[in-house]
Amino acid sequence: MKCHNTKSRGLPKSAPDDIRILLMGNPNVGKSVIFSKLTGVNVMAANYAGTTVSYTEGDIHYGRKTATLIDVPGTYSLDATSPAEEVAVNFLEDGANVIVCVLDATNLERNLNLALQVKHKDIPVVYALNLIDVAESKGIQIDVDKLEKELDAPVIPTIATRNVGLKELLDKTWERALKDPVPTEPTHISHDERWAEVGRIVENVQIVEHRHPTFWERFGDLAVQPIPGIPIAILVLALSIGFVVGGGQGIRATILLPLLNNVYVPAITTFVSSFVPEGILLNVLVGEYGVLIKGIEWPFFLILPYVALFFIVMSFLEDSGYLPRLGILLDSILRQIGMTGSNVVPMVMGYGCAVPAILGTRAATSKKQRLMITGLVALAVPCVSQTGAFIALLGDQSVFALVFVFLTSLIALMVAGAIMNRLIPGENEPLLMEVPNLLKPNSNALVQKVWLKIKQFVYDAQGPLLLGILFAALLVETGLLLVIANVLEPLVVGWLGLPKEASLALMLGIVRRELAVLPLLALELTTLQLIVGSLVGLFYLPCITVLAVIFKEFHFRLAIYTLLFTTLTAFIFGGVFNQVARLLGFQ
Amino acid sequence: MDLANYRKGKPCIIEHMPKNNLLNSMGIREGSRVSIKSRQLFGGPLVIQYGSRCLAIDKKIAEKIKIKEV
Repeated sequence: MKCHNTKSRGLPKSAPDDIRILLMGNPNVGKSVIFSKLTGVNVMAANYAGTTVSYTEGDIHYGRKTATLIDVPGTYSLDATSPAEEVAVNFLEDGANVIVCVLDATNLERNLNLALQVKHKDIPVVYALNLIDVAESKGIQIDVDKLEKELDAPVIPTIATRNVGLKELLDKTWERALKDPVPTEPTHISHDERWAEVGRIVENVQIVEHRHPTFWERFGDLAVQPIPGIPIAILVLALSIGFVVGGGQGIRATILLPLLNNVYVPAITTFVSSFVPEGILLNVLVGEYGVLIKGIEWPFFLILPYVALFFIVMSFLEDSGYLPRLGILLDSILRQIGMTGSNVVPMVMGYGCAVPAILGTRAATSKKQRLMITGLVALAVPCVSQTGAFIALLGDQSVFALVFVFLTSLIALMVAGAIMNRLIPGENEPLLMEVPNLLKPNSNALVQKVWLKIKQFVYDAQGPLLLGILFAALLVETGLLLVIANVLEPLVVGWLGLPKEASLALMLGIVRRELAVLPLLALELTTLQLIVGSLVGLFYLPCITVLAVIFKEFHFRLAIYTLLFTTLTAFIFGGVFNQVARLLGFQ
Repeated sequence: MDLANYRKGKPCIIEHMPKNNLLNSMGIREGSRVSIKSRQLFGGPLVIQYGSRCLAIDKKIAEKIKIKEV
């Protein structure tokens, strides 16, 4: 859980002599990038509004002094219209030594509206004028000296992704932090007065000349026209799936499987059996469910290739700003199932991991939307580890089964969405969403991000996986599995039509989603059994971490409902599918 | 005329719109100069351009925004 920065929404307790620096600004202006660069703490950044919904804090050092830098969620104003905006307002009320206010140079007018609100608080401000490279390519020129005079504070031009201007930003920030603040009266002006002021400043400091749109700008415009936007969307999805499935299969077949079977397994087996006598201990280490065999094979040789390729695709989509465009195209369809185009981002994130998807719903403005996304992601969106397990299980034996399982998950999303839309009270909010510039992702940032995600994945997954496998090895070696399998036999064998040993998947699946699928690999199942096993794994309860997050974000009752509902759906749907298929003569 | 039914690609000025804090703080208000970039099928959102930025806005909201040609 360390990775997702899920600190509570309350305010931090800091010692009175601590130097507190708030990093503020509109959504999607690069606050999280600046935060990562200044503190060395990696936080997730992406090219759309609402990546930071809670806050993150980190230390920055300057000479021998240390200050706390707080990455505040992005806001368009200080009116607090969503939970994320309330967090920002609370921080301001709690006070700080300096505010670093990040401005998007491509959209000065809207950013100045917030800048003026921040300026009128009784806290010194340093402005970072970010994205000046993108602004320049759009023909926007901003007179920084004049802007400094207008704002009565330092303005530093920056290109955060390429480290331009960050040193100077840090210098100025510290200079302000160490100076004794001159008390000023906070002033309050009306919306209209403020916009008039913004208009005057923009007129004074900005020159826009017409430029021919770049390739990415034209592509970004085309992607929101129904034609060719919809064909482009289909192409993007097809390429993404092809890259992950095809690439993963290729890497496994040519490199990883030979390495596993010819090098790793013989070597580790010989090594361990040279000093561990035959018996339970040896089997637990390198036997059928040996911790040193499956504990390495499953995460690194089966799942990781797909996970890594998925992270590459996801990071590319995130940093380019394409996903909100997909949301615009899908909005009218999503409305039929009670969702909106702005929900596409958290839903797609759910295909990585349900935890950030559920946390990301804090940016949603209504409770209904939060509940809908949480429910759908928990029920029918397989996380990246489970997707990897599906491909590993089904890809070799039956591509048809693989396609079938994913189509079923999509249909289940539609049906469950339509039902929840009826059951959960509340109106469907109208869409109002910023369309980010479509940008060519910066390759350094991309590599760094993918690497960070892979590291987090290994860090998060390895512990629970090893524990799960150790548990499995003990169950198998002590013969306890047979006892449990006999108890579950009516369900697993009679109703679901799976072999008795498949009950292991049901037990391990509580720990992590892919563990509900991977034990089926060793069972030599028929195509029907593969599909039934996968469907049960798909709808089965989300992993224990997700249930904990639902408990923390909502309440205990919802976590229990989710647990019961997903498990029942898995058994009822898997069983009915199995019985009907057998009646129709499939084996 | 309302924004939802205006021609694509032609600039216009917002004459009257309902109170909406989020739209206001994004910089869309009476007197703003905007143009329509795209419309979606089945009554989906409009993409409008203002300054150098774009915003997706529900058709229901766009219908309530009154505009005049420039």
